[in-house]
Amino acid sequence: MKSVREACIISVVAGLCGVIAFFAHPKAPAFHVDELEVELEEVLRFEEAFWIDARSDEDFEKGHLEGALSLNEERWEEQIVDFLDAWNPDAPTVVYCSSQACLRSHEVAERLKAELGVENVFVLKGGWEKLAEAGMVEGANQ
Amino acid sequence: MRRLGQFVEIIVGVAFLWAGIVKLMDPSAFLSAILTYEVFSYKVSVIASLGVPYLELCVGACLVFRVMKGGARLLAVGLLVVFVILLSQAAMRGLDVDCGCFGSSAKSSEAGFFWPIARDILMLVGIGLGMIAEENANGSREK
Repeated sequence: MKSVREACIISVVAGLCGVIAFFAHPKAPAFHVDELEVELEEVLRFEEAFWIDARSDEDFEKGHLEGALSLNEERWEEQIVDFLDAWNPDAPTVVYCSSQACLRSHEVAERLKAELGVENVFVLKGGWEKLAEAGMVEGANQ
Repeated sequence: MRRLGQFVEIIVGVAFLWAGIVKLMDPSAFLSAILTYEVFSYKVSVIASLGVPYLELCVGACLVFRVMKGGARLLAVGLLVVFVILLSQAAMRGLDVDCGCFGSSAKSSEAGFFWPIARDILMLVGIGLGMIAEENANGSREK
């Protein structure tokens, strides 16, 4: 019984620290990411789309969606120049990474929005896996 | 025997502390790892990405500094059992998961699950050893 009581105390302390971290941790993940997400079917209805591949350089070199530009957090400073050169502000920007579990696309989309003021930026739901399922790229997840 | 049990438990505590610190350095990376298991919803995973590292830190600190040992052992066993179940289900489903155990971003294929599962089982054995050693010591003191 003593152990259970102690376990409860430890859990409560850990829970409180977690709550504080949620508000104070500089890298705390966002609770709502759905607002940026868009289904592939919806993207295909856009007149045009500016595709961004947020996966690693290695994955991008193995294969990417035709016309997609590589932009990831590891080489942000270098790649952002290419992005600005190629970016079409009239076309919606759609960012994808490897799968639904991957958060790189959300990070890139949020950074584009916050740092460059890109308004019509979306994250492809399902990422590369969804593109592969639809036959738009070759192979499974890299 | 008691000293050995304590030593093993402290090693397990250090492993928990290390795992918690590494995860807290980048909760988003840990969140991505949780999502690869395809078990929890996004919101539950966000809560876990901040809750689990602190739980590991608290459990690790209690085991290392020998305070609230009973509760820390109970939670350590609970966490390790959950980790083993999560890894096993991922292995059975053939998922390509990021273990997330010590902040690693390397993905484990089915063949790569052996070490993380074995490590968790070893830690469970360590906790068990600590408990048995302490009970034996208490028993001989009572005699």
